[in-house]
Amino acid sequence: MSLSTWRDDPKRELWFAWYATVAFYSLYSVVFFLITRTQPPGQPWYRPDQVVRWFADRHTGLLVGFALIFVLGGFSATSIALITYSIRRMSVSRAFAYSYLILYSISAVPGFLFICVAMTVGAMRPDRSPGLQRWLYDLGFLSFSGTMGVFLIGSLIWMAAILLDRNRVFPRWFAYLNLCNALTEVVIAPSWIFQRGVLAWNGVIAWWIDVVVFGLYTGVFIYLLRSMIRREDFGTGPLPDLPPRRAPSSRPAVEAGAS
Amino acid sequence: MTTTEHASEAARPEEGNRVPGEPDMWFFVFFESLLFTSYFCVYLYARTQNERAFLRSQSHLLLWLGIVDTIVLLTSSWVMARCVQHARAGRHELARRFAIVTAGLGVVFLALKMVEWVRLIHSGNTLTSSDFMQYYFFLTGIHAIHLLIGFVVVGVIIYQLSDARRRSPRTIETCSTYWHTVDLFWVVIFAMLYIVR
Repeated sequence: MSLSTWRDDPKRELWFAWYATVAFYSLYSVVFFLITRTQPPGQPWYRPDQVVRWFADRHTGLLVGFALIFVLGGFSATSIALITYSIRRMSVSRAFAYSYLILYSISAVPGFLFICVAMTVGAMRPDRSPGLQRWLYDLGFLSFSGTMGVFLIGSLIWMAAILLDRNRVFPRWFAYLNLCNALTEVVIAPSWIFQRGVLAWNGVIAWWIDVVVFGLYTGVFIYLLRSMIRREDFGTGPLPDLPPRRAPSSRPAVEAGAS
Repeated sequence: MTTTEHASEAARPEEGNRVPGEPDMWFFVFFESLLFTSYFCVYLYARTQNERAFLRSQSHLLLWLGIVDTIVLLTSSWVMARCVQHARAGRHELARRFAIVTAGLGVVFLALKMVEWVRLIHSGNTLTSSDFMQYYFFLTGIHAIHLLIGFVVVGVIIYQLSDARRRSPRTIETCSTYWHTVDLFWVVIFAMLYIVR
């Protein structure tokens, strides 16, 4: 696509938001899993001296990785905006879109910024008292895992909007996937109680199974948002279907005609 | 015979060849089944690691109460099936009554569950007292949350059946599929927590 075509494309803002969403989730995964190694989470039962060692092992990664998040984390707004746009494109009341927008804007703070601040503070002064380091370690992981419930209502709002929508913006099975995702967010709540076992913040049920569901859910909604942009006609009625792909057998005929 | 009844009569020959309700709801059934299967696998693995302790904690459960719970919920499934049958046949008022009974049986189940939770907590068996109790409260708790959503779903059926302009057999079937799924999960949870020795 040439620059002038891109400039004239009425969907360019939507595509920008979509690519920013992909970039944000990619950055998020790389920073949390590879650079800072804060996911999978550390053990909740670590003694203070073990926590100090944990911070020391990740010192540079924590500072560099979360510095990237502080600079680029604002891109999370684009995914929230795009999802809000998708709800606005539905035939449902605008209250759904605004509720989702407000809820997710607030949720981003405990959802991923608290852990970044707590872990960066922990990494900044390795000579701090081990008790304080453990306090920051607990704050980081508890704020990250324990507050996942704040996203629950957001998923339910999106689900309800899809089920009530008559404009076919998303398939209805995605509404039910929202419900599945919301129910797994409930499961993380007991991480405030347990320091060991399957329901602790790094437990098989509270973390490993949930992260698989969340990963799948995220991949699916990014794909469906792309599909929505491709189908967008900027009208107010049902979204048109994508034209069927050209049959492979028709290509030689077209090429022959062109030559 | 009303227009709706004619419509349901006309739809009848196709019934044997189609999936009840929205196919999309079956996606939910499949995905939630996978999720619960993963919970059951984790539970069974933990059980094999410390079978004696699990058996000791399991002895605090009242088997007869679990059986009553199961009978109540299976009855609710049967009543829900009757509701769908009546709705398909155009007997909407009767179907609405069956939907209300279904919700009532759900409330009875939940009340029995709460009685059991309170009894266990009073005898010192809490979420943190043992590994078995952790799984017990988790599995019964997550099932109870599914059941609470089920009340909303039955509410949709009652709402649909209350007005001729809203009646959609497909939506009613979709909602009933959800209810049956939650009941099915309970049957497996009951077997895992109360029966497996």
